[in-house]
Amino acid sequence: MRTDDTGNDGMNGNFLHPSDSEIQKWMSNAFNMAKEALECGEVPVGCLLVYNNTVLGKGRNEVNETKNATRHAEMVALDQVLDWCSDRGMDPKVVCKSTVLYVTVEPCITCAAALRLLHVPLVVYGCKNERFGGCGSVLDVASGDLPHTGTSFKCVPGHRAQEAVDMLKTFYKQENPNVTKPKVRKEGIDPAGGSRTTQTEAAPLEDDRKMATSD
Amino acid sequence: MEPESKKRKGMEYDPDSWQVLPVLSDEMSDDVEFLDAFAAPITDKRQTSRLVKDLSAVHPISDLQHIRRVRPCKDKSSPHPLEVIVCLVSDVPHIKGRPASLGDLLSSDEFNLEGLGEPFPVRIPARAPLTRPQFEQASLHWPTSFHEDKRITLGLKGQLFTSRQKTKIHEYMTLAVEAAKSGREEGMDAVGGVIVDPKSGRIVAVGHDLTRDHPLHHAVMVCIDLVAWAQGGGVYGYEKHPACTYAAMDHQVQTGASGSVENAQPYICTGYELYVTREPCVMCAMALVHSRIGRVFYGVPSPDGALGTKFKIHCQKGLNHHFDVYQGVRRRSCEELVQLT
Ligand SMILES: [Zn+2]
Ligand SMILES: [Zn+2]
Repeated sequence: MRTDDTGNDGMNGNFLHPSDSEIQKWMSNAFNMAKEALECGEVPVGCLLVYNNTVLGKGRNEVNETKNATRHAEMVALDQVLDWCSDRGMDPKVVCKSTVLYVTVEPCITCAAALRLLHVPLVVYGCKNERFGGCGSVLDVASGDLPHTGTSFKCVPGHRAQEAVDMLKTFYKQENPNVTKPKVRKEGIDPAGGSRTTQTEAAPLEDDRKMATSD
Repeated sequence: MEPESKKRKGMEYDPDSWQVLPVLSDEMSDDVEFLDAFAAPITDKRQTSRLVKDLSAVHPISDLQHIRRVRPCKDKSSPHPLEVIVCLVSDVPHIKGRPASLGDLLSSDEFNLEGLGEPFPVRIPARAPLTRPQFEQASLHWPTSFHEDKRITLGLKGQLFTSRQKTKIHEYMTLAVEAAKSGREEGMDAVGGVIVDPKSGRIVAVGHDLTRDHPLHHAVMVCIDLVAWAQGGGVYGYEKHPACTYAAMDHQVQTGASGSVENAQPYICTGYELYVTREPCVMCAMALVHSRIGRVFYGVPSPDGALGTKFKIHCQKGLNHHFDVYQGVRRRSCEELVQLT
């Protein structure tokens, strides 16, 4: 694999960890995206990829329209970064090594692996993704020992987590008003082939088929 | 599924010899764990049911439902035909090593020792075995119940698939190998995949690695997007890659594109099979979960593979979709591809 050649060489020396105020600023941007998505009846997940104080990628979930279950917001945003690089003839690896992902929900296992393969060093996220999370909730792909799968990355979890959970709960309530009775399992929301979930108890559960198409 | 018929066995219908083996969960493939216990001979057979009842009251093993408390004596020349579990070693923490006598395990004031001989250490399986090899390993030490899944037993012997099925599997993997070679000619990694609808036998998508164009376009990600194209969706263009193809779905199934749900509508890769030359990485393996793949066949393991090597995403606890995985299909040809990369 072409992206593997460096293995887990950790963070790149000239990468500057964002300050608290930067984190607040970009996360508030991501939360605004999630709110807009919610208002449009879409999965309320906001996500930004920021390089040197510039937003290179801004994604929203595109699973439904593409019929491709991997078109999560992060994947869409990563493609924008790759396009940005190719437009400028820049090496995506060099750019990604100084890029931070801000996202309202913990990335799933697929997206976490994609972030590794592209050498993104840091992910700041809101709530946990109990059913698909790749930064520790289901598997720890973020820091796992995978020398042939890009570079491990660090996480700053829990930023405005309750708000992110609440938005998802609201979304699934409107989306599927028939299934809001809490069921036996306590896993939270399962948004379709893959997005997100929360760990709060009262989170409405969906029937799998419905979710499959709703995300 | 039927086992490979005896008549065919050993017949070389395939010069490229390979065996399809299931990739089972750790629980199924790990060695059996044992607990240390003490057993004693039943010297008076008439006391058996009383002893079992009394022992169960003093030293219950109710959390070990698979264990039979009494076993026939292994040594046929033994004067006593039965042996019984007295207690687990963990029940008698004050005993260090081998107990001197029954009295160390059971208080003779409270327990009627009549009919019990001197205790000896045994090892009993900690959990019910899930596979025949585990059952056989466990049974060497103490009898245990076993609910056999015949498919798993046949699978582990490489006999789950009939010759005809193996020929099909061989055919599909051959397409994947060819796709990998086409990709290699374009300067890509030599990895190829094929997605098939097993109900109709229709080949839905054929793809190969495209990481020279896009670092995330592993063969599996390409195949998943090609299936999306086949269903009226899709993200990327493949015009420059003639070996990456898809077959559009028949009209009947193509309806129902919007979010409105028809239960008859297959969701993405539901029920489909993937044939891929090497074990998928964690990104691709999870993408297959998201896509609800039916089952996966691969040729050779890969160092960070997520369907057996580093993870077993297909049977990962906590995920909402599980599927069967088999490996070893056309192993030699797939190994040759790895050498190319
Ligand atoms: Zn994801
Ligand atoms: Zn992959």
